[in-house]
Parts: sequence; C-alpha cells; structure tokens
Amino acid sequence: MKRKTRRILDRSFSGLGFFSIFLLSASLFVVLGPIFYRGIGAFIFKGTIEFRRLNYEAFNRGNKENLQKEKQISQQYRSQIYKMLEEFQHQLDNGEVPDSGKFSSDFRELKKQVRALLGPEPGDEEPVLMRDRFGETRWDKAKEALYRILFMETWDYSDPDSMGRKIFIPRAKEYKGASLEKLFPYIEKNFEKIMRPRLVFYWQFIADNSYDSHIFGGIFAEVLGTFYLVLGTMLFAIPMGVIAAIYLAEFSKDNSKLVSLLRVFISTLAGVPSIVFGLFGLAFFINTVKVSNSKSVLAGSMTLALLVLPTIIRAAEEALKAVPKTYKEAALSLGASKIRAVLTVILPAALPGILTGIVISMGRAAGETAPIIFTAAVSVGKPLSLFESLNQPTPALSWNIYNLVTEHESVEKIRHVQFGMVFTLVLLVLLLNLAAIIIRARVSKKLRG
Amino acid sequence: MENVVTAKKSILISKGTSRVKRLTNFLMESSLLLITSVSMIAVIFIILYIAKDALPFLKLRGIGEFLFSIRWYPSGNPPEFGALAIIFGSMMVTFLSTLIAVPLAIFSAVSLSDILPFSVRQVIKPIIEIIAAIPSVAYGFFALVVFAPILQRSGGHLMGIGVLIVGIPLSLILAYIAGDGLAGKLFKKTSKSHITGMFIILESLMVLGLYKIYSILSHITISSGTNALNVSVILGIMALPTIVSVSEDSLQAVGRELREGSYALGATRAETLVKVVIPAAKSGIIAAIIMGVMRAVGETMVVWMASGNAAQIPQPWTNIFQPIRTLTATIAGDMGEADHVTGSARYHVLFMMALLLLLFSFISNLISEFFVRRSKKKWGI
Repeated sequence: MKRKTRRILDRSFSGLGFFSIFLLSASLFVVLGPIFYRGIGAFIFKGTIEFRRLNYEAFNRGNKENLQKEKQISQQYRSQIYKMLEEFQHQLDNGEVPDSGKFSSDFRELKKQVRALLGPEPGDEEPVLMRDRFGETRWDKAKEALYRILFMETWDYSDPDSMGRKIFIPRAKEYKGASLEKLFPYIEKNFEKIMRPRLVFYWQFIADNSYDSHIFGGIFAEVLGTFYLVLGTMLFAIPMGVIAAIYLAEFSKDNSKLVSLLRVFISTLAGVPSIVFGLFGLAFFINTVKVSNSKSVLAGSMTLALLVLPTIIRAAEEALKAVPKTYKEAALSLGASKIRAVLTVILPAALPGILTGIVISMGRAAGETAPIIFTAAVSVGKPLSLFESLNQPTPALSWNIYNLVTEHESVEKIRHVQFGMVFTLVLLVLLLNLAAIIIRARVSKKLRG
Repeated sequence: MENVVTAKKSILISKGTSRVKRLTNFLMESSLLLITSVSMIAVIFIILYIAKDALPFLKLRGIGEFLFSIRWYPSGNPPEFGALAIIFGSMMVTFLSTLIAVPLAIFSAVSLSDILPFSVRQVIKPIIEIIAAIPSVAYGFFALVVFAPILQRSGGHLMGIGVLIVGIPLSLILAYIAGDGLAGKLFKKTSKSHITGMFIILESLMVLGLYKIYSILSHITISSGTNALNVSVILGIMALPTIVSVSEDSLQAVGRELREGSYALGATRAETLVKVVIPAAKSGIIAAIIMGVMRAVGETMVVWMASGNAAQIPQPWTNIFQPIRTLTATIAGDMGEADHVTGSARYHVLFMMALLLLLFSFISNLISEFFVRRSKKKWGI
C-alpha cells in the first residue's frame, strides 16, 4: 500500500473512533433529553385557576381573596357556557331540535368533556372522587381538553381494506344550525380568560402527598420511601463493605488461596442478576429469617445491601491501596499497632476514595427496582414514619415509575407525574454521581501535589 | 556487647507482653475475615435458597417440558410450563444488544485510550459513568414512553437513517482501500487519477447499495413499538459503559513499550492499534464483552416494560419487530400472581428460571475472571 493510503486509513480510523464516541455521548443526551425536558414540566408549568383552587382547598396554600376575585372573573365567562348548554338541553327535552337523536348521545359526551375541563358546575353537589372536584389544573392538559370539546372523535370506515381510522370532526360543523353552534367559537375565543393560566414553580411536587392515585399532588411518599431504602441499605452495606475492604487491603496475604477465593466470590456476587436478588430476599429474608411478616423496608434494605456490597468493597479497597506505603510505615515505626495504624492513619487518608464508592452505590440503591419488587415496594401507600419502616412496605420512586406507567388506570392523564418522578430519580442519581466525581477530582489533585 | 544484651532483652519483653496482644490480634483478624466472607456466604446462600425452591419444580414437572416446550400457560388448566420461547427471548435480546454495543464500545475504548486528547477524555469519562449510573427503570421508561411510539410510527425510516449514518463513513473508507488495491492490480503504473476514478466508481456503487437498503428498510411497518429491537437498542446502550471501561483498562495495561516499538518500525497509529495493541489486549476485551453480556441477560426493568411480554418465538425466528419475553421479565411479572400459591409449580418455576440465570451468570463470570487473570498475568499487574 502506498504511504498516502496508509495515512488516510489512519485518519479514517481516528475518525471512526471520534464517531463512536460521538454516538456514545449522543445516546446519553437522547435518553436524558426528553426525561429532563418533560420532567421539568412537573415542576414548572402553567397552572390554571383550577390549580390554584386545588392548592387552596387541598393544601391550604394561596391567598383566599385573590382566588375569590379570580373565580368571579372566570365565572362570568363560565356562566355563559353553562347557559348555552342548558338552553340546548332544554330544546332537546322539548323536542325543538330537528333530528335530536343524532345529538343526544354526543351532547352527553360534550357535557362530560366540559365538566372535565371546568370541574363541577357551581351548585352541584360535591363529587365523591377528588378527580371530579376540579377541572384541568395544567394549561397543557386544559388545551387537550379544549380539543376534545371542539372536536368529535369518530371512526372512519370509508376504506374497506383497513380496520378503520380514528378521525376528529369539528363539533362546530356537527352542530351547525343548532343553538349550540356558537358555544365552540365562544370557548375557543375566551379560553384564556376562563382558565387563567399562570406560570408556577411547583417545587412542592416532591414534598406533597399524592391525592386520588397521583392525579393530584406530589410524590412525597415515594421520595421518602427511596430515602429510607437508601438509608437502610447504607446502614448495612457501609460497615460490612469497608471492613471487608480493610481486611483485603491491609490484613490478608495477597496471594493466599483464601483471599483469591474471596475475590472470586465478590465478583460473582457482583454478577448476580438483580431480579435474583429480589427472589433471594423473598425466599431468605422474608420467608425464612422472617425479618418481617411480609414486604418491608428492612427486608428490602438488606437485599439491596447485598447488591451494592461488591461495589463498596472494590471502591474502598482501591482507595485503601492508593494510600502511599510510607504513611503506614511511619505509623508503625512510631509504635502504633497495625489496627491502630489502619484506623488512625490509613483509613482517614483513604476516606475520600471510600466516600466516592459509597456515594455511587447510594445512587445504585436508589435506582434499583427489581430487588425491591418482592421485598419492599408497594404501589399505593402513605409516607411511613421511621419506626414503621421496620415492618411495612413503602412506595419508592423506582417501583412507582414502573407502576404508574404500566398499571395505572389512566396512564395518559398522569404523564407529567411519571415524567416528574423519573426526572426526580435521575436527578438524584446524577447529583450523587456528580458528588462522587467532585470528590475524586479533589483527591487526585491532592495526591498530585 | 551491652547493646546486644539490651536488644535481646527488649525482644524478650515484647514477647512476654505480646501473648495477650497476639490473641487479640488473632481475634480481630478472624472477625475481620468473617465479615469479609459475608459476600461468600451471601453467594452460597443465594444458590442454596434459589435451588431449594427450584427443586420442587423438577419433582413436580421434570425438566423436559421446561426446556423444550414453547407452550407457556402457567395459569391454564392444566397448566403448561414450556419456557423455551422465554429462554429464546432472553438469548435473542442479549445477542442483539451485544451486536449493537460491542463495535461501538470497542471503538470508543480504543479512542479513549489512544486517540482522544486528554482534555476530551476528561469530559467523556463522566459521560460514560452517567450512562452506567442512570437507573434501569429510567431506561425502561424511556423505552416505553418515548422510544416505542417513535419506533412504531417511523421505525423503518429510523433504521434506514441509522444504516446510512453508519454505512456512509464505512463505505468511504472501504471504497478507498478497495480502490487503491484494485488500481494497483489493474494498471501497471497507478497514477492519482486511476485511484480517484476507482474510488468514485466503488463509492457510487456502495452508496447505491446503501440507498437500496434504506428504501427497503423504510418500507417496513412495525406493528408494535414494544418489541425485541426496542429492548435490544436500550440494553445495548446500558451495556456500553461496562464494555468501554473494562476494555479501556486492558488497552491501557498494554503499556507504552509495545506501542513505541510498533511506531519505531514505521507503523501508523491505526496499524499499531489494530495489529499490536488490540491483539495484546484481547483477553481483557473478551472479559469486557462477557461482562456486557451478563448485564444484558440480567436486566429486568427495561425488558419487562418495553419488550411486549409475549411468550412466543417470533415468526420467523429472526423477526426482531415482534414482542418477546425474557426470563427476568417473567420472574418479575409472574411473581405477583404466583405469590399467593406458594408451593405450587407456578411458584417454583420462577425459581427454576432464576436458577438458570444464576448458572449462566456464574459460568460467564468464571470465564471472564479467567480472561482477566490471563491478561493480568501477561502484563504482570
């Protein structure tokens, strides 16, 4: 081959390297992009007047007088809507509408949609379910609700080959000639005045209890559950992991059979699939040892502790081994016993490195789902007190993301909650990892100079 | 002389007082050892307890049906426990995700260790760590809520574009190599124009071929976004960090001398990497790939959420656009219902599956450990 060809090949090889690094980084941003973009939407969004009503009535937040004023303004426009609906209902009942059969079922649907947007009519009795007590609290959802009012959903069977398509016909066209025709342009025109959207920063999303299976409120129970699980896991995993690392790094003879056997087992433990940990936790901690009668935070923490143990051991061992030998020698030459040298000199010097491992495994414990399915997680639950966590299951961020996205009764309606939850979890894990990166950078700076 | 005596004395003193000390030291060390062996005990207990609950299944139903039948109707009457389709699903997803992850990961590892400047490396490493740190349920959520609808709506186009993105740079390089070679063979004296001509002809042929592939792919309709392909792509991304970091370590371990020797012989960087460094780091890279495979096999949440959970072998079996089901997802999904009937075959079959997963992870762990050791021995670390 010519020299030039070889050079070009060399260049293109580097190019492929850059390209794959680009793809790798891109995949991270492709995954995180939508999670961040839509997850922030759970915290910062345009809240309608219904949101402020909810905030006042359910959480006792906000100014009563301002709310009253706003309600009055909105009510002026709303009453027009109700008037039109009532008029049409009246006409329907008295048979004043030509081919009333065509309208009667859709009119019921229309009223349902209006109710979904605005909440119950003033003067109605209080609905039993909380979700029926308020209209759309979010401006984006309200706009979707408006679309469902303006357009009628039907099926198009005109193409005999296919199964039929969902199509949307404007209701204004459907109701042409009827008295209700003017309702649709009216709502569309005054929509902002009816719903009164305003930008809010709803940081209480992570501090509010959820109401009516996550349709309203926040995710406090899940955040707290995750916190307990991480706390419990670390309570078990840190002492065991650090002690094991101290033994492996300082006390064991490096090439003995026992130590290499231990290392094989540690890497085996690291390779056990997470769902198997879950089954083991169920079969051992709950069914055999009976740390609790059924699922509990305690059992889940123990299971998770086993899962993160190898991570902590490896990180701590590496950190201990990175401490210069001279430290140990100096301590021993001053007459300190081995254990004293480890505890007072080597361990403090290795602490930042150990901390890095701990922080990373905290993120791991917070995010793992499979091990807690059978040992700790529950779909619906109240925030627990610390004492209750010994023998009661808890909702947790990771499990409830799965649960809300696959098993909730109205998955589409609470998309923002799901995204908010994923965002919270990912942000938590990222912050923990960021902390680890910062600690490590400081350590390497210290070691260098 | 006196000095020696005092020295002896002091040694004697230390011996006398140290009996208690030695005992406490021994106790201390053995208790440390005990705590260290928690990992070992945990592994043994995991095997014991999973096997203990898996054995009743063998007694109740035997192994033949489990391994060779594709009929999975655990709640039917009579129930059937053929897990072949589920095992196939696990293997399919693992194979596909490895296929996606390995080339990307190895090229990334190579450029991290040898090509990229230090400052860029400092940025890329945290990115890789973050890819590893994102919880699996978040990946599953992404796969189900974001990726699946896109795949269903325009999956064919997406794949076509993917093929173009990967194919065009590759075709440029291939065309150049082949053009150079062909020109050398066809003409006695190659001039620049010969090579350029060959290059243009070959490249246009390849672009034509790529366009053909693109148009075939873009006509594929995908009936469901939750399928084997979706899961494999996401699992591939999740396996990347493991493979990249382990193989990068082994590439680094090869050391400067070998590289410098190769450069001194006149090899380019690409030649050095492909012919010297990568072969030298082979065992480490294989270990890395095995670890990536293990990650993909053991992953639960992504496959549970986004694989469609249909216990079937796709028709034909290479069809990656059909929903499948894996061992992990079956354990996670069926335990909720089987929990009420502890002791039935339906409960124990899930432990049987876990045992299968465990065996697989043990064997691959041993193999990867073997390769890691070999590469460590080779480079004397």
